[in-house]
Amino acid sequence: MKLGIVDEYSDLGSLLHRWEPRCKLIGLMVLIFAFSFVRDLRMLLAMVVVTITIYIISKLPVSFILRRLRYPSFFLLVVVLILPFVSGQTIVMSIGPLDLRQEGLIAVLLVVTRFLSILTIGLILFGTAPFLTTIKAMRALGLPAILADMVLLSLRYLHEIGSDLQKMQTSMSLRGYKKHRFSTRALNVAAWLGGSILVRSYERSEWVYKAMILRGYGYAPTTRGEFQTNSRDVITLGVFLLIAIGFITGDILYGRGVAALLQ
Amino acid sequence: MHIPDGILPGPVTAAGYAATAVVTWYSVRKINQKENPRQDIPKASLLTAAFFVASWIHIPVPPTSVHLVLNGLLGAVLGYFAFPAILIGLFFQAVMFQHGGLTTLGVNAVIMGLPAIIAHYIFRIRRFGNQESRRKTGIFGFLSGAVAIGISVAMFVLILLTNIPADLDIGTERAALYTLAIAHLPLIAIEGVITLLLAVFLQRVRPRILDGV
Amino acid sequence: MLSEELIKPTLTVSGLWLSYPDRPDVVQDVSLKVMPGERVGLIGPNGAGKTTFFLGLCGVLKPSAGEIVVLGKPVLNGHFRPEVALVFQNPDDQLFCPSVWDDVAFGPQNMGLSKDEVEVRVKEALSVVGAVELADRPSHHLSEGEKRMVSIAGVLAMRPRLLIYDEPSANLDIRSRRRVIHLLQESKETLLIASHDLELILEVCNRVVLVDSGHIITDGDPCKIMSDDRLMEAHGQEKPHSLVPHRIPHHEL
Repeated sequence: MKLGIVDEYSDLGSLLHRWEPRCKLIGLMVLIFAFSFVRDLRMLLAMVVVTITIYIISKLPVSFILRRLRYPSFFLLVVVLILPFVSGQTIVMSIGPLDLRQEGLIAVLLVVTRFLSILTIGLILFGTAPFLTTIKAMRALGLPAILADMVLLSLRYLHEIGSDLQKMQTSMSLRGYKKHRFSTRALNVAAWLGGSILVRSYERSEWVYKAMILRGYGYAPTTRGEFQTNSRDVITLGVFLLIAIGFITGDILYGRGVAALLQ
Repeated sequence: MHIPDGILPGPVTAAGYAATAVVTWYSVRKINQKENPRQDIPKASLLTAAFFVASWIHIPVPPTSVHLVLNGLLGAVLGYFAFPAILIGLFFQAVMFQHGGLTTLGVNAVIMGLPAIIAHYIFRIRRFGNQESRRKTGIFGFLSGAVAIGISVAMFVLILLTNIPADLDIGTERAALYTLAIAHLPLIAIEGVITLLLAVFLQRVRPRILDGV
Repeated sequence: MLSEELIKPTLTVSGLWLSYPDRPDVVQDVSLKVMPGERVGLIGPNGAGKTTFFLGLCGVLKPSAGEIVVLGKPVLNGHFRPEVALVFQNPDDQLFCPSVWDDVAFGPQNMGLSKDEVEVRVKEALSVVGAVELADRPSHHLSEGEKRMVSIAGVLAMRPRLLIYDEPSANLDIRSRRRVIHLLQESKETLLIASHDLELILEVCNRVVLVDSGHIITDGDPCKIMSDDRLMEAHGQEKPHSLVPHRIPHHEL
């Protein structure tokens, strides 16, 4: 499994790339939360327009988002295929024994659009800066030191541990193990694999701890990063916050109509 | 067991984040109260990564295969670090693989993380009574694993069904509930068994891990 | 001699005993003195206690008996002494920061140095090991040789006076190994090097200590010790090729 190189395009230099990381984190996260509040079809359109505009500004290639949306879209398929036939009372059309319902169709539209928009903004957030920078921004915004340290350490060793697993699985298959059949043996082997990974990681962590204290871990206060904002960063943040508020207000004003329909 | 973005309405996702913030704050406080919290951070971090990787191991269950969740064992082994560990794991999944969700990070952490904490206490019960036997470890391993995933499935199904942005009539809702619950029963059983096997393996090879971080 | 009395030893170990909870007496009654600038090679079979000894020297492991004094001050368990630095056998255990720059900066930052001073130290350390262009790389994107060099840079950045290396040439290709040997030969610090690579020891060290089962067996001149067949074989070693008298000449004169 290729480990999440979401930030492969983090050096494109667009407006979003150059936006100060803390402001970007706040701005985009507030925006995607605002998206999850949307229930009105008109707001859906606005959401799509805003999302596409931001994506264009980010200069991220289209292939990037298409590739990244491929896997999670399978879930969407389930929603699209089931909801319109089970949800709601108003029947719009009948296809044989199945009834297509209006509320279900609206629900599908809502879910799919929100899903795609939120994912896209999420990709923009983490794709327009090195992942490490975004973590440092979180730390600067108040993420507890313990969590920040854990994120960085887990990330660092994810690759080693992942490749350990691959090596073990390779050696298993080279010795003739075929893993398609369900049996007690399959369960045992899975447990041994998992157990070995846990034990190795546990033992490695003791060495990592020794390495850390040998170089003074705990002797200096963990810095909160050195980010500086300029007025452009703050203005951009203001713009995004306004857009987010716009969506939430829009939902309060218009959403009631649709909500009543869905009730 | 992760609810993706886009399904849950805003207030629910916000509530999820709030709940996660509270539990995380509490966990961090408990961790800082330990004698040497720094010593446990590398352990907890590497085990977080290890559990994340371990969840990529597939168990063939015809016609497909399932991959492990292991939140029960995670709770048993990591104690108060379990909730932050799960939060971090979900974060990685959402950002790296677009699996799970960003707005639903809070809700998913509660669904997976709270049962892990419960599993921690269940596994601790095995210390009562005098001897450490493999059977005891196995039984409590099975219980922690099955109960944790059972609660997660229940929470997942409940939250999902009560929040889909459309109305299902009572009959459909009940049918959906039963189908989803029954479909997950094999998963619960397998998680229980795997957790049992893992707990016994760890006791044989490195019993210190089971004493918790 | 007068000059010897004026020069204080870099390292003095007296009657050191080290144990683990599940393994008692891994190091047994070891006494050793290392003078400034000496390059001491520690040779012996696996399980002899070399790594454990190093962990004791750095204050990571608490001795069950005995004393360790480095640069005039006793080594206390758990205290941060940047003057003593240990390069681990497995660089992955030591490279725990997200990027090379972060890793090399880790030690100086914990020493409380200013941002500018940290920057200076990092640049300096990276250029000594020849890894300046690797500064922004994530640690897991490095080759074995690069990882080794970066882990050395990480300790050099603390400007230690006593440098301890645990198997510095393990898993390295020929070119990387040669770079490590070159680096060790150019070092001005006092060195303590454990290695199975006896040729490296011959090229770098001016003193050899043979250990086995937690004891020091002998201590002295590298060539003398390592050409003693019986001694070497008795302790799981072999005479390095360079010291083998050649019956069939195969080197060109």
